[in-house]
Amino acid sequence: MSRTTAQSRRREAALGYAFIAPALLLFGVFVFYPMVKTVQLGFFRVPPFPGLPNKPVGFRQYRQVLGSHDFRDSLKVTVLFGLYTVPAGIILGTGMALLAHQKLRGIGVFRTIFSSTVATSVAVASVIFFTLLNPQVGLLSYWLGKVGGNGILQDPTWALPAVAAVTVWQNLGFTFILMSAALQSVPDELLEAARVDGASAWRRLRSVTLPLLSPTLLFATVIGGIAAFQAFGQIDLLTQGGPINHTRVLTYYLYQEAFLRNNDGVASVLAVALFVITLVLTLVQLRLLERRVFYAR
Amino acid sequence: MPARKRRATAVRAVHYGVLVLLAAVVLFPIYITVVNSLLTPEAIGHRPPSLFPTHPHGSGYVSAFRSGHLAIYLRNSILVAVAITVGQLVTSVLAGYAFALLRFPFRNALFVVFLATLMVPYEATIITNTHTVTNFGWINKYPALIVPFLATGLGTFLLRQAFLGVPRELHDAARLDGYGHWRFLTRVAVPLARPAVAALAVFSFLGAWNQYLWPLLVTNTDRVRTVQIGLRQLEGTSIQQINVTFAGTVIAAFPIFLLLVLFQKQLVRGLTAGAVKG
Amino acid sequence: MPATVSRIRPRTRRIAVAAIPFLLLAACSSGGSKVGSGTTSPGGATSPTTATASLAGQCPNGAVAQSSQQPIQITLWHSMTQANLKTLVTLTDQFNASHPDIHVNLVNQTSYIDTLTKYKATLGGGARPDLVQIQDVDQQLMIDTKSVLPVQACFEAKHLDTSDFVPRAISYYTVRGVDYSIPFAMSNPVLYYNKAAFQKAGLDPNKPPKTLDELRQDAQQIVSSGADKYGIALKNDPWHLEEWSAMAGALYANNGNGRDKRATAVEFGGATGQQIYSWISGMARDKLAESTTSNGFDNLFAVANKVAAMTIDTSAALGTIFDVLGSGQYKDIQLGVAPLPGPVAGGPTIQAGSSLFVISGTSPAREEAAFTFAEWLSEGPQQAVWSAGTGYVPVRTSATTQPVLQQAWTARPQLRIAYDQILSGANTQAAQGPVIGDMEGVRTAVENAETSLFQGADPTSTMQKLVSSANSVISDYESRVS
Repeated sequence: MSRTTAQSRRREAALGYAFIAPALLLFGVFVFYPMVKTVQLGFFRVPPFPGLPNKPVGFRQYRQVLGSHDFRDSLKVTVLFGLYTVPAGIILGTGMALLAHQKLRGIGVFRTIFSSTVATSVAVASVIFFTLLNPQVGLLSYWLGKVGGNGILQDPTWALPAVAAVTVWQNLGFTFILMSAALQSVPDELLEAARVDGASAWRRLRSVTLPLLSPTLLFATVIGGIAAFQAFGQIDLLTQGGPINHTRVLTYYLYQEAFLRNNDGVASVLAVALFVITLVLTLVQLRLLERRVFYAR
Repeated sequence: MPARKRRATAVRAVHYGVLVLLAAVVLFPIYITVVNSLLTPEAIGHRPPSLFPTHPHGSGYVSAFRSGHLAIYLRNSILVAVAITVGQLVTSVLAGYAFALLRFPFRNALFVVFLATLMVPYEATIITNTHTVTNFGWINKYPALIVPFLATGLGTFLLRQAFLGVPRELHDAARLDGYGHWRFLTRVAVPLARPAVAALAVFSFLGAWNQYLWPLLVTNTDRVRTVQIGLRQLEGTSIQQINVTFAGTVIAAFPIFLLLVLFQKQLVRGLTAGAVKG
Repeated sequence: MPATVSRIRPRTRRIAVAAIPFLLLAACSSGGSKVGSGTTSPGGATSPTTATASLAGQCPNGAVAQSSQQPIQITLWHSMTQANLKTLVTLTDQFNASHPDIHVNLVNQTSYIDTLTKYKATLGGGARPDLVQIQDVDQQLMIDTKSVLPVQACFEAKHLDTSDFVPRAISYYTVRGVDYSIPFAMSNPVLYYNKAAFQKAGLDPNKPPKTLDELRQDAQQIVSSGADKYGIALKNDPWHLEEWSAMAGALYANNGNGRDKRATAVEFGGATGQQIYSWISGMARDKLAESTTSNGFDNLFAVANKVAAMTIDTSAALGTIFDVLGSGQYKDIQLGVAPLPGPVAGGPTIQAGSSLFVISGTSPAREEAAFTFAEWLSEGPQQAVWSAGTGYVPVRTSATTQPVLQQAWTARPQLRIAYDQILSGANTQAAQGPVIGDMEGVRTAVENAETSLFQGADPTSTMQKLVSSANSVISDYESRVS
């Protein structure tokens, strides 16, 4: 009896390993190995084209890159980009969800409209707005009075806010769906009880709805913050990091160094920096906001 | 009484007003895109701008498909997205089942390893991955676009959750009936986890369809180019052919729009997985 | 790496210190060109004969004839499109028909940057082309890859006549005494202006400005008279600093513009550079110039739409301009084309365009075949056809005697202007243009600096910042390549 149990247990274990093997292999090759290799590449100066050897330079490259003006500026741009996109996106998305959560006539139409940007990818949204902001024939340029010469996307002051606005617009659908789903889970009885107790709509919102939404708000903030540090497509399509690097977020800086200038060593340092930053961000946000989150029992 | 009713009506009017305003902000770019895709370039440049296509032209779409190669790009995107979706489903179902219902040494530690992949941003791996893919000789071939994405930590997490919800009794009953794990998985567990599977499928497809940087790096010929990079090519089109650019974006967005309409429930579930309690 | 590449490497290093026998040869036989005047002769220690002999030895002369595989198949990676592509195809077909032992296959990589990116990728493994069309400023990078056969080797081994090359064209591609590539497509920046606007402003439409000061005065008059909103549409081009420095006789980079030894720093931050930036800044501040983006032709459209009366752009745009104007969409624009104005009148300009590099390490027969095709393309008759069909300027003076080119130039005299410009003025080291490994990186920094100027930044501090950015770009490249 024990032998068959041992046998069956071994077979189960073998099956278990077999089931996770494909994914594990893929992770090994495409996630863990690259991570290690990237850290390692940061210790080398890579030639401008393949064929010449890599030069080991120890920590010097890490120091140089992380201490450089370019890195600091790029980090600043990325943080600014996050500050422009995350709060605006969440406020708008939550606001839309709250407004569309009412039992009004035709509310379904609005709900569909509000979700619609989920169908747009970063490329779709960026190409649309790039064309609309074209200084010669773009409709938005015309309405904003910026026809001719250089458009908004070439203006050092307004380029980043413009890119941020496109990002917020494109993410509205997702944020709306997320917050709407969260709103669904707020029990009607609680709100009913609060209303019967005489609480105004604002009070109900503040004391009942928002606290119950807070886990999802936390999730949205974390996701939004990480997304800000991973944004690439819209920069590539709208401004290519310009003008004068005013929209050069860290991912775009990485792309330029790694894939346009063959500077894998420098790009690897940036990659490591990005990994550390997103990790720290996630942990900090989770810790900070978790304290203020109210979990419904 | 009338005062309160008047206030209620006023509030509702404001409510509708704000809704309409927000809807306009959301819808306007999409509307203009569709309208302009049906106009001629001269009409698009006309000032004041025409907001309604009185004489719709299909030429933008024809050009987008032909000289804009959008037919090829669509084919590639569909192929790649389907392959990735199927791959992610298979690996996630298998791994999720193993972590939920199979026992093997280091199971928990290995699960943490799977979850750890969620903490690794794509920037940390992309440089090496392009080298790897180049060394495999996959540049400008479909494997480069598909293979790196066949496994997903999130998918495994979701399916594990779903399988954990399979009642113990079912499992015991099946064992008594002589069901091996494989049969149980395919005949009982997966059908029960169908909502999670569907949600993952939609989510995977969406993610694969919208990929941008990776296809940009591993493809540089039209033969394997996906629709998102096709849009990048289209963006460089001259002002004289802006209707083609707009048509291209409509074409690129349409399949996902269709997905949204047909699989709205699954889409919502996929997007909100893990985010909302209950 | 293939054995043939390592065969070349040590010798190229020795050659780099050699004298310029080849150029002296060209100087002696060509009429009117002043090669070497104003040039700081590099060392000249190694005897010319030794250098010539070792260089010629690198050329696999006769390999095609000896090869068993006939015809030798070679590929040319190019970035020509539309009319230029058609002309290239015509010429290639002609070559293939008249050279039964060689067959050339064209591969279109659509842009200079795509061509270079793909070529760099082949250095890590992958099929290499036999001939590549490379943008002028990328030549030092190509040389550094140590994957090219210096064309000078075959010119010498085959005793070919190079005396009719346009002096500044061949000098441009001669780096530290060795000509690595054959000039192929050449152009020069010129001034485009609307004669009708000039007339409206009370200016003589046949007297376009020759100096930057005159340009400013004319722009002022155009704006004040209300003829156009801006005097000139200035495309944000790194050329401004490059060409205007050269025209004023100032070096762009150190070590003789990178031609005596490798450039390690920029030198454009001196008095001339400051003047140039003050001028640009003044034009921007006083709203006499409008800035347009560096890619595309917004500046030309600005003139066509009567927003500005003048602009500066490549002579290679003439073909497109004629097409657009001919369409009738822009009536009452009278196109004027004039030589590029500069800090001083009549200063020499740097050539622009692309050259053909012969890739080494494929096979001796293919190397020789590639050289043969590239050299054939540069010959007078072919350059005449090429120029007439594209609007590029011929790289050999003998092309101008060909009827096809003469007819083209009679029909459209504006096409000549860039050619006359590149022939006029001394062949100084400044006019030969800078040789910098990461010229693209330096150009990006220059573009950013000019954008700042148009945003109102102070020219002196902008120039200082630019110099330090450019220098760090150069030292970064040098550290990665050595």
